[in-house]
Amino acid sequence: MKMRVASHLAIALALGAFALPASAQMTFKEAPALATQVRENRLPAVAERIGQEPEVVTPREGVGRYGGQLRFGLRGSSDHNNILRMVGNMGLVRWDPEYTKVIPNVAKSFEVSPDGKVFTFHLRRGMKWSDGKPFTADDVMFNMQDIVLAGALSPTPPRYQSADGTPMTVEKLDDVTVRMSFSTPYGDFLAELASPLGQHPVLYARHYCSQFMPKFNPNVQALVTEARATDWQNLYMQRCGDIEIPARWGNVARPTLDPWIAREAYVGGATRVVMERNPYFWQVDTAGNQLPYVDQLVAPIAQDVESLILDAIGGRIDFQLRHLDAPANRPVLAQNRQRGGYDFFKAPTPGGTNMVINLNLTHKNPELRELFNKKDFRVALSVGMDRKEIIDTALLGEGVPWQNGPHEDHPNFHKRIATQFLEFDAKKANELLDKIGLDKRGSDGMRLLPSGRPLKFRIDVIPTVQPEHVDMLQLIERQWARIGIDMDVNALERTFFYERTSNSNDHDAAVWGGQSNWAPGDIPQQIVPVHHDSRWGIPWSFWYKSGGKQGEEPPASVKERMKLYDEARATVDPDKRRAILHKMADIAADEFEVFSVSQGLPTYGISKTNLKNTPKEIVNSWYFPTPAPALVQTFFWAN
Amino acid sequence: MLLAYVVRRLFWSIPFFFAVSLVAFALIEAPPGDYMTTFAATLAQSGDIVDQERLDALRERYGLDQPFVVQYWKWISGVVRGDFGISFEWQQPVSDLIWERMALSVILAAATLLFTWAIAFPIGIYSAVRKYSIGDYFFSALGFIGLSLPNFLLGLVLMYIAVVHFGSDVSGLFSAEYQQAPWSWGKVVDLGQHLLIPVVILGTSATASLIRIMRANLLDELYKPYVTTARAKGLSEWRLLVKYPVRLALNPFVSTIGWAFPQLVSGSVIISYVLSLPTAGPLLLQALLAQDMFLAGAFILLLCALSIIGMLVSDILLAVIDPRIRYR
Repeated sequence: MKMRVASHLAIALALGAFALPASAQMTFKEAPALATQVRENRLPAVAERIGQEPEVVTPREGVGRYGGQLRFGLRGSSDHNNILRMVGNMGLVRWDPEYTKVIPNVAKSFEVSPDGKVFTFHLRRGMKWSDGKPFTADDVMFNMQDIVLAGALSPTPPRYQSADGTPMTVEKLDDVTVRMSFSTPYGDFLAELASPLGQHPVLYARHYCSQFMPKFNPNVQALVTEARATDWQNLYMQRCGDIEIPARWGNVARPTLDPWIAREAYVGGATRVVMERNPYFWQVDTAGNQLPYVDQLVAPIAQDVESLILDAIGGRIDFQLRHLDAPANRPVLAQNRQRGGYDFFKAPTPGGTNMVINLNLTHKNPELRELFNKKDFRVALSVGMDRKEIIDTALLGEGVPWQNGPHEDHPNFHKRIATQFLEFDAKKANELLDKIGLDKRGSDGMRLLPSGRPLKFRIDVIPTVQPEHVDMLQLIERQWARIGIDMDVNALERTFFYERTSNSNDHDAAVWGGQSNWAPGDIPQQIVPVHHDSRWGIPWSFWYKSGGKQGEEPPASVKERMKLYDEARATVDPDKRRAILHKMADIAADEFEVFSVSQGLPTYGISKTNLKNTPKEIVNSWYFPTPAPALVQTFFWAN
Repeated sequence: MLLAYVVRRLFWSIPFFFAVSLVAFALIEAPPGDYMTTFAATLAQSGDIVDQERLDALRERYGLDQPFVVQYWKWISGVVRGDFGISFEWQQPVSDLIWERMALSVILAAATLLFTWAIAFPIGIYSAVRKYSIGDYFFSALGFIGLSLPNFLLGLVLMYIAVVHFGSDVSGLFSAEYQQAPWSWGKVVDLGQHLLIPVVILGTSATASLIRIMRANLLDELYKPYVTTARAKGLSEWRLLVKYPVRLALNPFVSTIGWAFPQLVSGSVIISYVLSLPTAGPLLLQALLAQDMFLAGAFILLLCALSIIGMLVSDILLAVIDPRIRYR
């Protein structure tokens, strides 16, 4: 991943190149099953289905052949985002496979005004929904005006607002052109649209979904009763879903713009999900073959990760990284490569660290709060950890000692914030702790607070998200005990963890996977507390998000960074944006609020050896979201 | 006499059912937070900004902000009309989700029960009659191994062996082609084939205790004077055995039918989880974890109903089998 250049707005330059209709002279071909349907007059001809301006995609290895199915495993319920990652987030724009720039997707091209306030999107002429009805600017208007900005189903997400809180405006310029404008510059907007959470503008088909809204259908109550729904919103969710809920894949009749559409839906109690090709999909390869190549995605639902691993070993999984990519599974998967007929591909982390330790600097207990806010205390804890031992033991030797922020090969890399205070030095740790008034010890050898009470705190952790966190913390617990620090590991179920940390600020300290590279769309939550994962200053993040109305006013250095963060989000020029981020990182490095053990670990996925056009290496990130930008629709079976 | 007894028992089941439903609902409500907290955590984990306004709006729509009694009343009055509410997680009516899963659970439970009995009866009788013989030791040892092996481990080992050595998949209850197919004879056969492994796994642990109970009970009876008398009167060994001591030794089997049903459903959660069986267990577990309360509530209510019915059945059977039982 040498090219992980986060020049988010190389975009502005890209628009010229993509405006050319490369498809103008092409003759189009289609899958045999569809050709049969066309001959039997059950389907319009392929050229008619894909419209005048399909996207011409260059497959990674070459033009493929049609047929076959692609199997991946779903786990239990609530694994809807796994489907989303495979089918792909068909938003207006997407990331290129290298995760370096935002490129057109559903939109044929786009323009950004020089001041970063106005975004114009050109749609593809003649493009269709999966049921054959035209996709036009009216659909975008429906999604943005009637759903998102009207707050019809839920309050408007902040990403569709200007920095000053005023909502964006959306205008239809003609049938294939829409314009979105903000009152303040918004450099990160395209990156946010490229993430799975930015699909709103093209999520719902107006002609289908509007029938479930009282605004468009006065008789909606009849439909509600018939479906035994509680109200129209519930009915809407049942039929049209939302970006991130299981019901999105639960209705086979919902028109989409995806390469595959649901045939066996993801509903409660389902034991597998089957998606079949969308005959109206709007991408073709360089030879004019309509994508996708693979007829079906088939995803059996296993309750248990162990049984997914058995499926992989048994050769019943064709392509997968989610759920399998824990370090502990690697040996057994490696051993069975031959039997399963698969090979590994690399899925490096976008950057950052695999576990960041957040002491709660806004602790409700004044004594602990005062202590945690002493930089020397945090430095002592950092140098009091033997990172090498933790990496060798808990991470099986994989990992590089690291504090925070992007890696060396990333343009956003900031040396000081990443590498200060990494050296293990128990003597220095003890000196620092003695110096800040923790020189008295109890009968058990543990340090006492200046008040004479024992110093004791708990670190909250979710044991299931990254299983290695608990192993790491147990080692840290032992290492800190040697410098007289009494820390307990507090494993919590996910919901209770969020409730205790991000909502109520009741924690002493918490850990979280800090994989981050500060690219547009990636929130630098460990250098500025603006997010629910900034567990070192939750009340400060409330203050920021509410514009000063809630939470707690942060100290000057934090406020300074919040101001810089707003500036960075607004900035269109990548170099200027980086300079602002580095200014924030300078301050954060001075303050040294958070610390970590190791760099984020590279993960891996498995891919059948005769499945082609698959990536050899792809960044593993939800914002990307892996593996969708590698274009699963171009994967094909070589015999 | 018997009829009056049955009617009386039926009548008492109704208030009992409501009491149980109240307890079930209270238990589901007991953990801190509600579905919205779980929902927020799920969204937060994938990086979405969790908006308090949005959660509050949803909480109000789902009625989660109302007092316990109001929520319970709304729920139970719906249940009486056959409306179990909606599943928050799936956004579907709960009644669409539960019946098939419950039916498969009952099929699995019934098959396991029959399997257990079919194994445990003859072996129990054999090891009582041939006390301390080689066969007795052999079957007892086998039974104890079955009892001490954790179900899920046995499940994983069998799955591993099937995949690695036979290249076949033993998880699930249906083959791929039958999963969404409507019911047909082929599907029933397919289900039967897939039932074998979970039934054997679940059965191994249950047979051991039943063998021992049967053996102990029978041993108690075998040396009673009436047996000696019957033998002295020249009754054949086989007839003697089946007609009196075995009939009495059956008593504990019959009286445990009532617990057997809910026990088999809840006892099979882990094995259903490991083998990905589409039974009620895993869905109930997930519903509880997600605090998807109407879905979880419906399952728990049905399980309670099953055990009430099971108790009733075993009481009636007991009355039929054992003439000493009095209808009071």
